[in-house]
Amino acid sequence: MRRIVAIVLAVFLIGGVAAAVVAGREEQDKGTATKTVLGMIGSEKAEFFADPDVVNALAAKGYTVETEASGSWAMEDLDLKGYDFAFPGSQAPAEELAEKYGARQPLPRPFYSPLVVVTHRSTAEVLADNGLATLRTKGNGILKMSSYLKAADRDTRWQQLRGADKYGELTGTLFISTTDPTSSNSGALYLAAASYVADGGRVADSTEAVARTAPLMHKLVGVQGAQQSSSDASFRDFVSGVGNPLVLVYESQVASLLAQGQGVDDLTVLYPDTTANSDHTVVPLTEEGRALGELLSKDKELRKLAVRHGFRPQGAAVEFTAATAAHTTYLNQKLTGVRQAPVPASKVLHEMARQARG
Amino acid sequence: MSVRVRRGRTALGAVLLLAVTACTTTAEKDPAEPPKAEPGTLRILASSELSDMAPVFEQVERNTGIKVRPTYMGTLDAVDLLGKGRAKGAYDAVWLSSNDYLRLNPAAAKHIVSQTSVMSSPVAIGVKNATVRKLGWKPESVTWADIEGAVADGNLTYGMTDPSRSNSGFSTLVSVASGLSDAQSALTDRDVQQATPRLKEFFKGQQLTSGSSGWLAEAYDRRGNVDALLNYESVLKSRKDLTVIRPRDGVVTADYPLSSLASTDQSTRETVRRLTDALRSPATQRLITDRTLRRPVVASVAPATGLDTTRRRELPFPGSRSVADGLLDAYENKLRRPSRTVYVLDTSGSMSEDGRLDRLKKALTDLTGDFRDREEVTLMPFGSAVKSVRTHVVRPENPRSGLDGIRKDTRELSADGDTAIYTSLEKAYEHLGADDDTFTSIVLMTDGENTAGAGPKEFDGFYAGLPRKQQEIPVFPILFGDSDRGELEHIADLTGGRLFDAQKGSLDGAFEEIRGYQ
Repeated sequence: MRRIVAIVLAVFLIGGVAAAVVAGREEQDKGTATKTVLGMIGSEKAEFFADPDVVNALAAKGYTVETEASGSWAMEDLDLKGYDFAFPGSQAPAEELAEKYGARQPLPRPFYSPLVVVTHRSTAEVLADNGLATLRTKGNGILKMSSYLKAADRDTRWQQLRGADKYGELTGTLFISTTDPTSSNSGALYLAAASYVADGGRVADSTEAVARTAPLMHKLVGVQGAQQSSSDASFRDFVSGVGNPLVLVYESQVASLLAQGQGVDDLTVLYPDTTANSDHTVVPLTEEGRALGELLSKDKELRKLAVRHGFRPQGAAVEFTAATAAHTTYLNQKLTGVRQAPVPASKVLHEMARQARG
Repeated sequence: MSVRVRRGRTALGAVLLLAVTACTTTAEKDPAEPPKAEPGTLRILASSELSDMAPVFEQVERNTGIKVRPTYMGTLDAVDLLGKGRAKGAYDAVWLSSNDYLRLNPAAAKHIVSQTSVMSSPVAIGVKNATVRKLGWKPESVTWADIEGAVADGNLTYGMTDPSRSNSGFSTLVSVASGLSDAQSALTDRDVQQATPRLKEFFKGQQLTSGSSGWLAEAYDRRGNVDALLNYESVLKSRKDLTVIRPRDGVVTADYPLSSLASTDQSTRETVRRLTDALRSPATQRLITDRTLRRPVVASVAPATGLDTTRRRELPFPGSRSVADGLLDAYENKLRRPSRTVYVLDTSGSMSEDGRLDRLKKALTDLTGDFRDREEVTLMPFGSAVKSVRTHVVRPENPRSGLDGIRKDTRELSADGDTAIYTSLEKAYEHLGADDDTFTSIVLMTDGENTAGAGPKEFDGFYAGLPRKQQEIPVFPILFGDSDRGELEHIADLTGGRLFDAQKGSLDGAFEEIRGYQ
C-alpha cells in the first residue's frame, strides 16, 4: 500500500511550480545563468515552492527549483536518481535517505513545525476542567499528553468529563483525529510522541519497544475509523466545522491560515507538552542540492517567506516571533512548556504505524 | 456474504447516470460514451446528488472560463468504476459526496492524488411538524435513541434511500448504526452484530425505500402517511413541511471533496485546482449555500439562513471495508424489511422477434445475482392472459434453491399469444394483497400495447376500488420494444411508480436500477 501511495504521489507534479519552471527555462534560453535543480518534496511544502515570491527569491539567487511532491514516508520507496535533493517533512526518513544515497552530514534543516491539536474554546475548557490541559491564553494552551494517554487507555468518553454535557458535540470516545500513520507524516509523528510518553520517556528502538506500546497505539488509531490521507484535508475539515473536536495538525497550517488574515470561530490551539516536530530536512543528492539546502537555511528573504507559510526557521526565532506578533492569542511563540519527543528510526516507526493501523 | 450485496453492481455502475429528478430514466448498459476531452472543459465523474449544482457551474464558467461536464452516478458505483481503473482517460476529475467509502478501497483510492472539500451537509431526519409536536420533541436535544424509541412505540415511520445505491442512504445507515450500537468510536463488526436486534426494530419503521432522493420525496408526498425522511440536511431543508433534526449524539457529514486523478496530466490538474479555488471563493460559497442549502466550508461565509450552526459530533466512519460492507450486507439481508415483488412479464408472440425473449431471459438470470435474503419473487408471465404464477423465496439458510428456481422458470419462458397488460396487473395486485411487513412492488415489462383483456379505463376503476394499503403498491413499468410510452407512463403515475426506459438503454440496466426501489 505504501508503495502505491508513493508511486501515485511521485507522478504528481505541482502545478504552480511547473509553470514557474517553464518560465525559468525560457530565461535560461536567453542566456541567464540560472541553475535548475530537481527536488522531491513533502506535499506540505508544495504551496511554499509554488508561491511566486519564493520562485522569485530563488531566481534572484540563480535557482530554478523544479519539484515533485510525495508523502515524506513514501520517498524511501522511490528511485531518486536524477534528483538534486529530497526534502521530507521529517528527520527520520531524511536520515534513511541520507544513508541510502550516501549524503554527507550534517543535513541542512531549514525549518520545522511542531504538531499541535486544534479545537474550539469550549472543548479546551472541558479538557482543562478535567485536568487534561491547561490554558495559557484564550486561544492556546498545553495538552497534558500523559493524562490524555491514560484517559485514552481507559476508553474515556466525553460524557464522563465534567462539563461536557453542555456541548452536544462532546459525546463518544475521547480521541485526537490524525492522518493515516502508514502513509502520512503527521499521523506517524503522533505515534512517535505518544509512544515516547507512554513508554516513560524512552524512544522506541526495537521490536520489543514497539510491542510495549502497541496495544495503546492500536487503540489511538482504531477508534478513529477511516482516517484522512493528508493533514491538509484534516485541517480543512476542521476549519469548515466538520469532524472530531480534536484534530492533530502542523502548527504551520494554523500560522499560515492566520497569516492570510483568516480566522476560525473560537479556535484554540493546544500544544502537547510532549510533541514531535516536523523537521523539514534537506537530503542533498548533488552539490547543487546541498547549495540550495544551505540557501534555504540562511537566505533572509527565503526564511521570511517560510514564516509566511507558517514554518519556524531553524536557529534564532526572531523572524517567526516578529511575523506572528499579532497572533499570540493562538500561537505559543516560544513553545513555552513544550518538550520535543525524539522520533524513532524510520524502520521502527513504520513498524509501529503498521501495527497500530492493522 | 458481502459478495452477495455487491454482486450485479457492475452493470449498475452505468445505470444511475442520468438526472435523478427526471421521472423517466434511461437505463444504460455502459456509461453513455464518455465525453471527449476538450481544452478548458473538465469531465467530472460526479455523485448524482450534485445535479443541483448547475447554476453554480454556470457562474464558475462565467468567472473562470472553465466548463464543467458532469457525468452523474451513484457514489458507491463511482468507487467501483474507479477501482476497476475505468476512469482513466474518460474523466478529468472525480467529485463524490464523500471519499470515506473510497478510502476503504485501495484499488480505487490509488487513482486519487489530491482532494479538497467544497461544501458539506450532514445526515439528518426531517420530521413532519405535526409529528414533532405530537412527540413533544425539542429538535435541538433529540438523540438517535429518542428516534428509535418513537419508532418502537409505533409513533414514527420514515423513508430513506437504498444504501447500496445512494450515498445518502449509506451515510444514513452508518449514522443509525453508530447511534444505536452504543459504539463510542468507529464501528466494528462486533458493534454491528450486537446492535442487530435494535437495528432490526428500527428498520421496521422504514415505510419507503428508493434508489434516488428525488423519487423518495415524490413517494413521501403521495403516501401522506409517512412521518419522516432520513436524508442529507440540504435535501430536507428544501421542504417547508419538515422540522429538520440533526441528532444531538452525532451525524455523518458529506463533505463533497473535488478530487484530481493520477491518470491526468499536469495541466488538467492545474485546471482542477483553479476550479477548486473558484468553488471555494467567498462569492461562490455564498451562492452554493443559498441555492443548495449545503454548508459553506470557508470560515468567512455563514451558512444559509435557517441552517442551525450549533456543533455536532461527527460519528467516525468505519475504518475498514469489511465493516462497511458487513453493515451494508446486514442491512440488505437481515435488517431491512424484505421485499415482495411480482414480475409481470410480457411473453406474447411479439417477444419472439429481434431476440427479445432471449434478452429478457438473460436480464432476469443476471438479476438473480442481486436478490436479497428473505426476498419473495413471483414470476407472472402473460400473453392473452396470465400463463403461470410462480413464487420463489430466497431463504437465508439456502438461498441457492430459490435462485435456482427463478432461473429454471426463466429458462422455460416461451413467447405466444396477445398482450393482456391490465388483466395481468390486476392479478398481480390480487396476488400481493395487503402486507405490512414487506416492501411490495410490481415490475411490468412489456414490448407492446394492450391487445387483450381489461382496458385502461377498467384498470383505473379496479385500482380505485382497491383498499388503501394495496393502492400503496407501486408499478414500475419498463418501456421495451414497441410498448406505448403514454400507456406505461399512465400506469406509473396512477400507482405512484416510476417509468424505466429500456428502449434507449438495456433491459438488464432497467431491471438493475429498479432494484433500488424494491
